[in-house]
Amino acid sequence: MLGIEECLTEVMAIPGALDAIMIDQTSGMAVGVGGGSRHTDVEKSAAGLSETLRATLDGLATASPTGTVRINDMIVTTDSGHHLLRPLETIFDGPLVIYVRLDLERSNLALARHRLQSLSGRLITT
Amino acid sequence: MPTVESILSGLAEDRATGSLRLGKAGALYLTDGRVTYAESPSCPRVEDLLTTSGRVSAYAVRQARQAAGEGLWGGDRLVERGVLTRGELEFCVLGAVLDAVFFLLQASGVRPRFRPGERHWLGPQWYFDVTGLVRECRRRRAQLDQAWPSTGLDALPVVPLGRIPAQRVMLTSLQWEVLVGTDSTATPAELARKLGRPVYSVLLAVRQLAAAGLLRVPEPAPGAPDGVPAGTAPSRAAPSGAAPPGRPPELPPAAPAGPPAGALPRRADTVRDVPERGTGPSPGGGRLPQTTGDPADVSLLIRLRNALEALT
Repeated sequence: MLGIEECLTEVMAIPGALDAIMIDQTSGMAVGVGGGSRHTDVEKSAAGLSETLRATLDGLATASPTGTVRINDMIVTTDSGHHLLRPLETIFDGPLVIYVRLDLERSNLALARHRLQSLSGRLITT
Repeated sequence: MPTVESILSGLAEDRATGSLRLGKAGALYLTDGRVTYAESPSCPRVEDLLTTSGRVSAYAVRQARQAAGEGLWGGDRLVERGVLTRGELEFCVLGAVLDAVFFLLQASGVRPRFRPGERHWLGPQWYFDVTGLVRECRRRRAQLDQAWPSTGLDALPVVPLGRIPAQRVMLTSLQWEVLVGTDSTATPAELARKLGRPVYSVLLAVRQLAAAGLLRVPEPAPGAPDGVPAGTAPSRAAPSGAAPPGRPPELPPAAPAGPPAGALPRRADTVRDVPERGTGPSPGGGRLPQTTGDPADVSLLIRLRNALEALT
């Protein structure tokens, strides 16, 4: 059983984690910040990331044969690192999203995914 | 009269602890100058969000409330009993407080009263800086306006169109909940309470649905008869494709035709005084008499049928 701040601390303990943000998907608001994110514009990042997730959902819904989609996690790899987004459904409000940026060289994507999965189960139980 | 925002800023500077009561509009609770809870009758409270979703029983909430008098904060008690995680409680408080503050900051005509030392039974679960809170509310308002720049629908019943001016739509899960949950009489705030969702989320979904042309939109001047059937207004009124689809309708001046106020409603071609329920606008502009799903008609017919059956 984790709180939001503790969860962010644990996310930052994932090998290769550079920064982490907890985002309220409905409003695109940054709920909490972990580690190095303090020197980027967190509010802009959160809004942009929730927009990324929204656009991906729209695109995938169109591309999927059933027209519906549910994202478990989303991984985007850029020149400088991996970006992981994990939406967590809650029963009383739109999803809470854990975002973590990982170092390209020092991180293990499979491990990071696994850790994020177990952390989210301790943060939100459904 | 000082605004709620300026009073809050003052309390934040003084690092005050207590409750700021805004009469009927609601109340804010501060701990050391930071907002820790807020509630407004227009929004579901934390306990409403938790119990409506079935996550927590009303009994557990009652017990937690009692515990607050016995030295353990109600929120901590809920977490301790394992009915929900710390993260869930924090996220729920976060949503409920932002929701309430969004409305409380607009409160006017109330006499704010600060009661030092008064605390909310949940206890401090999440701390909001007053400046951050004000900024977030401003951002949310901008976001609502971006979806559909009109407050016209915010306090009206949510009425989905029976037939939509599109061949295919894509919905978010919340938009789906709103469409399925509405009974065509509930306003967004009532719907939020029923669904156990923050009002802001429901308002956003409603405005997005309106922008997509899926809801009945209000007529410009209530009571004024005009020939434009509700619902087709956005597309018809748009000046030859110049306006993007996400604009509220700019309706043409109301047609002067129509019965004088107070006259009996006449069955006319274009004037429809009966509220439509789930009937789509007819493409022919209403040459035929309009059929309505008015519940009064239906229940009258059912009563008639039952009476006739009772005779035989």
